[in-house]
Order: sequence, then structure tokens, then C-alpha cells
Amino acid sequence: MSEERPEPLDEPPPSEPPSGPLPIRSRDFGIASSRLLHLQAILAPDRMQGPGFAFALLPVLRRLYPDRPRLGEAMARHTSYVATHPVLAGYVLGAAARLEEKRAAGEAIDAARIDGLKRALASPLAAMGDPFFWVVLRPFAGLVGVLGIAWIGPADPWLPDLRVLLCPLLLLLTYNALALPTRWRGVGVGYAAAERPAEILRSLRLGDWREVFERGGAFLYGTLLALVGAGLHASSGSGAAGFAPLGSALLPLALGFIAARLLLRRGPSAGVETALALLALAGLASLAF
Amino acid sequence: MITDFLRLAFLGGMLSVDRSAGWNLMLSQPLVGACLAGALVHPGPEWELYALRIPIAVGALLQLLLTNAALPAAQRRHDTATAGAIGSTVAVLGMEHLHASMPSSSAGLLWVLLGVVAGLLAAVLGGWVQGLHRSAAASDARRATAIAGSGDTGAYERFYLGALVRIFTLGALWTWCGALVLLAGALALMPRLAPLVTTRRIGIVFAVILGAALAAAYETHVKSVRRGFAWTLAGAAAAVALLLTLASGDA
Repeated sequence: MSEERPEPLDEPPPSEPPSGPLPIRSRDFGIASSRLLHLQAILAPDRMQGPGFAFALLPVLRRLYPDRPRLGEAMARHTSYVATHPVLAGYVLGAAARLEEKRAAGEAIDAARIDGLKRALASPLAAMGDPFFWVVLRPFAGLVGVLGIAWIGPADPWLPDLRVLLCPLLLLLTYNALALPTRWRGVGVGYAAAERPAEILRSLRLGDWREVFERGGAFLYGTLLALVGAGLHASSGSGAAGFAPLGSALLPLALGFIAARLLLRRGPSAGVETALALLALAGLASLAF
Repeated sequence: MITDFLRLAFLGGMLSVDRSAGWNLMLSQPLVGACLAGALVHPGPEWELYALRIPIAVGALLQLLLTNAALPAAQRRHDTATAGAIGSTVAVLGMEHLHASMPSSSAGLLWVLLGVVAGLLAAVLGGWVQGLHRSAAASDARRATAIAGSGDTGAYERFYLGALVRIFTLGALWTWCGALVLLAGALALMPRLAPLVTTRRIGIVFAVILGAALAAAYETHVKSVRRGFAWTLAGAAAAVALLLTLASGDA
């Protein structure tokens, strides 16, 4: 993966006329990267992240187009349709900044080429980022946070239960250990490899990571099952929480599992409604006992 | 309680910004929201230590139930960001106000169930509230384009940041209102149900929802993974081996 970084200058060369484009500074890239955190504040179906993209790119465009009409043109260009994964948006922004820089310097780069590059990068990045960050890494991090409850273990009864802070921290660290460096690196890599979009896409290797985390998620799910089983066994042994004997807990648990799987098979995105329906049914059924 | 709700509203605003504005730092995951709300809401000194355990359980169950592996565009519009915070708050404050009128809480499981129900309802209702922001975003995008074309970048930045503030405000208001309404509902309904609440019944309902949570997690983590079942068995075997080793060490 290319780690080549842009080498921005902090001061404009003395020969440059004051009304022309100013060089992009590291600071501008830093501000643009931080603004990408607000990429989706205005998310509309016809432009998707376009308004947010223009908002993030604005510090760079201000340097390149000091005159208002050209700045307005550039801003209008970048509010057009962009749809990519928010974590990977920096790659698109860096590449667009590089082309805008060349255009501002007088190279023959028209608006269609900039738009074409954005689309050529944004769509594949979305296709790579969504299955990894949304479908695999986010649920994986959630499962790590949940398992943290058992891994960290209960505190002394007379001390505050620090799991209330440690479990969310575990979740946040698991996700952001990968997502934050990817975000931070994006603008620089996109800028450096703007003319070679295929190289940017190859460098990410999210498909390899995806397989690792998918298998890791299934492994951790097995761990969760074993820990739940051990917890029920311990509860039945102590007679606490209404779980004595063990069978009286396992039967409703198994019924809940089977019913939820059947309902989720019919409506995979109806998890909330399924859970509410099962709660209502379980409440009614429990009246028989 | 007023300061509790102010803190909760601030948290709800932050969670909404994380989910809707693009931060995506995963603050908006139900486990995080539930635990942070649990740490911020104080049900009184006599409950301080005990109250921290309920948000962990509420958050864990909601995390398993609300995690949907589908892409966001393919999901039903539920607000999972504030669901954990609202569920946890209703559970903790419900415990404070209702414990005297309930004959059994089954070692706190009743309050966990209350929090899970409140969190699930909040996810559905919050999805409708988020529709307000989505409907405003379409006209905002058109207006943003017009401002951008004028070259008035200061106005563009102010307009864009205004949309960010709206996400925060809407999330904060919804969290405040949602928690208040669901808590009021619990305070009105639970004493009427008190004669029906027994330790055994709480245990049955809890076991069913735990089973549903495990099924939801199976759909997310195992179903579509190649050789997922084998990896699940390996994970279970590793955990059992570790537990047995630890148990023999204790013995």
C-alpha cells in the first residue's frame, strides 16, 4: 500500500502572484479530514453526501480559488451526487483535491474529469466499505463489547461496576482501531495516488480483512453461547433469578430462539418487531405458570 | 431528576450526531448508549452500585437484538442510537420509583426487561422522529447547492452547521421526551401488573427474550458466514475448555 504523502508547502513561493491559487497546506488537509466527520449532516437521495463533501473540501478550495466566482463554481461542482462509505470518503476527497489543484494551476482538467474520478472512486469504495464496516466490523465490535461483560467479570459488590464504562470502551476501541486510521490516512493517500485510482482500491485489502472478522464473529458467537450456558447453569445451581431447575430456563430460551429464527427468516430486518412480539407472547404464556 | 434528564438529552444529541451526521465512531451502538446513560443517571445513593449493573444487561440485550447486519439502506427505519440510552434510563429510574410497589424483581431482571421493552419501543418511535430530519434534508440539499453556487462560503458553512445542530437538537429532544413518556407509561402501568409479576414469570420472559437475542445474533454472525457453524463450535469448545480449566484451578 502506498504510504506516499503529499508534501505541501506552508508558505507560497515568492514568485506566485497573490491573486492566484495558494498551495494546499497540511493544515488544510487536517481540517478537511476532520470535517469529513460531518459528511452526512445533509443526506438527501438526489445528492447523497454531495453537500457534506463540498463542506469538507471547502478549506482546500478556498486556497485554490481565492476569487469568489471560481470558488462558487467549484463549490457547486462538489455539491453534486457523491455516495461512498463515510470511513473511506477521505480517499475520494484527497483525489478530488489533487485534480482541483491541477485545474487551479491551469492544467487542462475539466469539471467532467473531476466528477468522473469522484464517481470512479466513490462507488467501488462504497461497495468495499459497506460490507466490511457495516456488515462485519460493526456487529463484531458489538459482540466484543457484549462478551466484555463476562471477560471482565463482576466487580466486588461494594465497589462500582466498572463494566459500565469498560464494555462500551471495548466496543469503541475494537471498531475504531481499524476505522480511525483508515479515515486519517484516506486524504493523504487519495491525494498522492489521484491519477491511479485502481492502486487506491487495491491498497485497501478490505476483502481479506472481511473474511478474518466474519470468522472471528462466528467464533465469538460460539463463546457467547458457552458463557450463556455456563451462566444459566450457575444460576440454576444457586436457585437465583427464577432459573431453578435448569430445564425451566432452557425450554423458554430454546422456544424464544426457534421462534425468533422463524420470524427473522420471514422478515430479516424486523428484529425489533420480532422481539416485541415475542415479549408480548412470552408475557401472556407465562400467565399459565 | 431534571438534571438527570438534561444529561440524558445531551447524551441523546451526541448519539444522534454520531449516527446521522457521519461521525460513525459507534457511540450510537445500543450497548454504548445504555451504559453511558446508566453512568449519567443517578437513581439515588442507595441504588448507586446496584444501578450500574442494570444498564449493562439492558445494553447487552439491545445490542444483540438491534444489531442488523443488513446495509443501512436495506434496514427498517429504527433509531437504534437513542434506544439504548432511553431503555437504560427507564429501567434505572423505573427501579427507583417502582421497587416499593412490585412484589418481586427477581434480582433485578424485572428492571432489565423493563429497559429492553422501553428500548425496543424507543427504537420504533425514534425511527418515526428521525423521519423529520430526513424530510428536511431533501430541501436542505437544494438550498445548500444554491448557496454554494453563489460563492458565499461563510453562508454555506453556517447553513451546513445549522443542519448539524438540528440533528443534535432533534436527538436531544427525542431522547428527553421518549424517556419521559416511556417512564411515565411504566409508572402508570407497572403497579397495575404487580399482582401478575412473580419470580417464575419474570424468569420465563427473560429466558425467551435472551433466546430471541441469541437468534438475532446467530442471523448476524453465523448464518451467512462460510463454515460459520464450524467456527461457532470452535468458539464454544474453546470457551468450555477455558471455563473447565478455570474451575479446576479454583477447586
